[in-house]
Amino acid sequence: MRRLALGERPDWRAQAAAAGFTFHSLDGAPYWDETHAYAFTLDEIERGLEAPSAELHALCLAFVDRAVGDAAILASLGIPGHAFEAVRASWRRRDPSLYGRLDFAWGGEGPAKLLEYNADTPTALYETGVFQWLWLEDSLARGRLPAGTDQFNAVHDRLVARFREIGGPVAFTCMEAAPEDRGTVAYLQDCAHQAGLATRFVPLEAVALDSAGAFTDALGAPLGTLFKLYPWEWAFRDAFGDRLAGTPTRFLEPPWKAVLSTKGLLPHLWAMAPGHPNLLPAYFEDDPRKGALGASFVRKPILSREGANVLMVRDGAVLARRDGPYGAEGHVRQALCALPVFAGQHVLAGSWLVGDVPAGLCLRESPDPITGNAARFVPHVIAP
Amino acid sequence: MQANAPSLDGPGPTQGSKRSQTVSLVLLVGVGAAALVLARRDPSQREEDTLVYADLAACRAQGLRSPEDCEAADREVRALYPTVAPRYPDSAACERHHGSGGCTAAVAPAPAGAFVPLLAGFMIGRSADQHLPVQPLFRHAPDEAREAAGVSGVSGGYCTSGGGRVWTARGSTLARVSSAVARGGPAPARVVATGGFGATGHGVAVHASSGHAGSGHAGG
Repeated sequence: MRRLALGERPDWRAQAAAAGFTFHSLDGAPYWDETHAYAFTLDEIERGLEAPSAELHALCLAFVDRAVGDAAILASLGIPGHAFEAVRASWRRRDPSLYGRLDFAWGGEGPAKLLEYNADTPTALYETGVFQWLWLEDSLARGRLPAGTDQFNAVHDRLVARFREIGGPVAFTCMEAAPEDRGTVAYLQDCAHQAGLATRFVPLEAVALDSAGAFTDALGAPLGTLFKLYPWEWAFRDAFGDRLAGTPTRFLEPPWKAVLSTKGLLPHLWAMAPGHPNLLPAYFEDDPRKGALGASFVRKPILSREGANVLMVRDGAVLARRDGPYGAEGHVRQALCALPVFAGQHVLAGSWLVGDVPAGLCLRESPDPITGNAARFVPHVIAP
Repeated sequence: MQANAPSLDGPGPTQGSKRSQTVSLVLLVGVGAAALVLARRDPSQREEDTLVYADLAACRAQGLRSPEDCEAADREVRALYPTVAPRYPDSAACERHHGSGGCTAAVAPAPAGAFVPLLAGFMIGRSADQHLPVQPLFRHAPDEAREAAGVSGVSGGYCTSGGGRVWTARGSTLARVSSAVARGGPAPARVVATGGFGATGHGVAVHASSGHAGSGHAGG
C-alpha cells in the first residue's frame, strides 16, 4: 500500500455534478478527496483482501445458521425477542441479500483485521462503484495514471447482476432528510432499473401496513420487495417492529442481516474461529475473559453507527473516544488494532460484498483514530 | 450517461480486470427523468378499463355499451344490492366509510338495525369482451391519505361491496381499476396502520452528538 500524491483534477466538482454525485462535500469541506490516492499490488488485493472477505463472509453465514436456532445468541446481538421470528423465517427461506461492507484495519502488508461488518445499511456505495471508477477511467484517459492501472471495483457490474438475480419489482425507502442516504438509495434504484426491474421510491414515513399484513405505499398498494436504507435495529424498535413476522413483504437487506450488522457478531466469530488471522480477539463486556485483552482494547456498543460511543484504550490510557446516543444494549471489547497512518491520516479499508461475492474496495481517511461520519473518501488503484 | 471503458482508444481494462466493464446511470442524471420514473405506478399490477354509471339512463345515454347490456346490468345490480351492500352496526360507522348522508337503514335480508350505504351506481366493463361482472358501487367518504398524496382531478370516488376503490376522472364515466377490483375478487386488503417506521431513527438523529448537518443518517 503506497500513498500517491497525484493532485486533484481541477474540474472534478463539475464531473461530480454531471455524474449525480450530490454529496461530494459536507458543510463546505470535501468528502470526496482526490488530492491523493492509494496504490496496491494485485497480490495484496487478491490475497490480502478479496480472499479473506469471501472467507469471513462464509463464516458469517455459518454463524447466522447457528444464531437463528439459539434464542440466547439472538438476544446477545441486541435483537429484541419480538423480532426473532422475522429473522428466523427470512433465513429459513434464504431470502436473498444484496450487499454489505466488511471494514478492515489493513495496510496491504500482513493479514487484514476485521473491525466490523456493515451488513445491513452500508453507504459509500455510489462513491465506490461509480465516482471512484470514473476517476480512474478519466485519470487513465488524461495520462495521470500509467497504462494498465486497475482498481478493485466491480461493484456496479455486480449490483446490476445481483438485482437481475433477485428480480422485481423493488420499492426503495429511506429517511429523506439525509442527502447521503437518499443518494445511496437513488443509486441502488438506478442499478435495479438497469437490471430491468420495475422500481419506485417511497418515503419511509409513508410506508403503511394493510389488513393482510403487507407493507404498502400511502395509497395501499402492496410493496412486494422493499429495499430500506434504515437499520433493522431501528425498525425492530419502531411501531411496525412487531408486524414483521408473517408479512408477505420481502426486504433488502433481509431481517437475518441483523445477526451480522452488530458488534455482538465479533465475540461470536472469535469463539467460532479462535486465532483466525483476519479476526481480532473479542469478548462481550460482561465476559470475564475480556481480561485477556489487557490494558489495550476498543470498547464498542453492540449497536452503534458512524463510530459513535466507541472508546479506544492503549496501555490503560484513553487514546480516543467518541460520544453518541448508543450503548443501551451493552458493549463488546475488541483487541486494539491501529489503522494504518499515512501523512497523519488513519485509513479504513471497506471491502464490499455483493450477494456473497467480494466486489470492491473503498478507503476512508480520518484525522482521528476512530472513523466517523466526517471521514473522507479517497480513491485507490491497483498498480500495473 | 454512459461511460464506456476506453478499450479502443486507450489502455482499457484487460481480461481479468478487477473493475466494472461499464458504469452507466439512467435515473441519477437528469432530475426530471428520475421524477417521472419514480412517480410511475407499478406496471406489474394489471388494470382494467371500466365504465361507471349512476343509473340505467346514464348508461343508455352514453351509448358505449348496447342498450341491452345497460338494462341487464341495471337489473343485476338492483338484485345484488340488498345482499352485497356492506353492513354497519350504526349510522355513524356507515357514514365514516361512505360519507355524510350516504347511508340508510338496511332492509331484509339484513338484520334489523343494520345500516347500509345507498346505491350510487354500477360499474361494467368498457367492452363485453372483458367479461367483467357488473358490480354495485357505493359512495366513498373523502380519502385524506389520497388527498395528502396530492392525487388531484378525481372525484371522491366509489367503493365496491368488496371494499375495492374506484375513481373516475371528473366529468368522465371511465375508470381504470385494478384487475382484482374489477373482477370482484376477494376484498383487497385495506391500510390499517401508517407511519410505523422511522420514529427510532428520528429519535437517534435528534440525540446524536454529531451528524450530517443535523440530519438523521441511517447508513454506515
